[in-house]
Amino acid sequence: MRRAPIWLLLLLGLALAPIASHARARAQVRVFVRTPYLELHTGPGRGYPVFDVVPRGQSVLILFRRTQWLKVLTRRGVEGWASERDMMRTVLADGSPLDLRIGTRAGYMSHRFEAGAFAGVYGGASLISGYASLSFNSQLALEVSVGQFFGRYSNGVTADIGLTHVIAPQWRLSPFLMLGTGLVHTSPKATLVQPSNRTEQTAYVGGGLRFYLTRSCFLRAEYKTHMVFTKLNRNQVEDEWKLGLAVFF
Amino acid sequence: METRARRVLLIAAALLSLPGCASVQRWRTHRAEVREARAEARREAAQSAGSDSEMPPPVIRPEVVRRHARAPRIKSSNFEIGAHFGVLSIEDFGSHPTYGVDLAYHVTEDFFLRAELGRATAGRTSFETLGGNIQLLTEGERKFTYYDFGVGYNFLPGEAFLGSRHAMTSSFYLLTGVGATQFGGDKKFTVNVGAGYQVLPLDWLTVRLGVEDHIFQTDLLGASKLTNNLEAFLGTTVFF
Repeated sequence: MRRAPIWLLLLLGLALAPIASHARARAQVRVFVRTPYLELHTGPGRGYPVFDVVPRGQSVLILFRRTQWLKVLTRRGVEGWASERDMMRTVLADGSPLDLRIGTRAGYMSHRFEAGAFAGVYGGASLISGYASLSFNSQLALEVSVGQFFGRYSNGVTADIGLTHVIAPQWRLSPFLMLGTGLVHTSPKATLVQPSNRTEQTAYVGGGLRFYLTRSCFLRAEYKTHMVFTKLNRNQVEDEWKLGLAVFF
Repeated sequence: METRARRVLLIAAALLSLPGCASVQRWRTHRAEVREARAEARREAAQSAGSDSEMPPPVIRPEVVRRHARAPRIKSSNFEIGAHFGVLSIEDFGSHPTYGVDLAYHVTEDFFLRAELGRATAGRTSFETLGGNIQLLTEGERKFTYYDFGVGYNFLPGEAFLGSRHAMTSSFYLLTGVGATQFGGDKKFTVNVGAGYQVLPLDWLTVRLGVEDHIFQTDLLGASKLTNNLEAFLGTTVFF
């Protein structure tokens, strides 16, 4: 209990840090309404009522954006939420349409970074893991993943690095193959005869499927077979199955 | 048999990865091509500028100044970070104060991804209390630390009113996820489900009241059983 105040301070610090960044001024964007009118809602959701409209030709200042909604300020000083779909029909001062860069199928096909989290099974043990990847092009990516597994007789962590090859990135449900190497650190439960922790190198090959959901979000299911290079006479093979959610940037 | 299947899979993976590597190669040459094209365009532009006086004036001189408008960056505020404080009822070990931190990313107005990390300290079981000097766990083992990540869904969005002048957006949410719990000298795979109500007094500030159940299998007290560890909390987060 003595350490609680330090934790509390840390939590408060974490909570306050974004407020400081929030206060920083940013360049704001002014757009002009080109449709007959722009509807302003009271909240960032489809159910919130429309309480004001901005007529064609007038401008609004975009304050910030949250999911599919943009908070705007009108010339008359009214603040409201406009949908992304409506805002994409507005134009900038130079007449060019406002590009909101939302996650689309095109982005799903070809993007730079992705990250996600999984739940699954590793060699019979429950597994949770996360990954991040850097794409060289729409097909090939360098991927790093870490995981933690919880077994009946041992717990452990895994870390992998390898290449992933998406066979047909243009498909909504697209298969991919993986090849790489990694480490596995196993800590057997203390009740067993050999309670010593061990770290071993692994190599893996695998495949999976990814399915585009919406915006920048997709489902990913994968299977990896790990060859664990043990210090014993024979190597060990561990299978890994997992399902998760990922986002691309 | 199994090894052969694995070998076939390995070879297949390697072969199928080759087109990817080939396109990386293309990507490099493509970059070079783009650079060359740009350099050529610059050379041509310089030449035409230099030879302007020698050439006869064109009938129509286009006087369009091409503006390189950069797409504006709009501030997004889809991330949420914050802390929560509450009570965690650790099965067989009593109810105790808990605190934690959360991080969320809002994918759409309905769905969000959330990760959280929290801690509580378990008390004594009734067996320990009644048994006098018996200690099942050390002080360190009584620390109940959990982390999890999952998907949340906002439902019944609405507005909450404070008097006649203030309205706050609000919603209920459901949450489910997976994670790990460190307790009693062991780490356990944990499933968590939760629900709550949140209001946003300001565009960037949320206050939420929630309950969450951390469910895991443990054999800490002999027989293996599924434990439900309910948490009720008050939390606040800020959007950034």
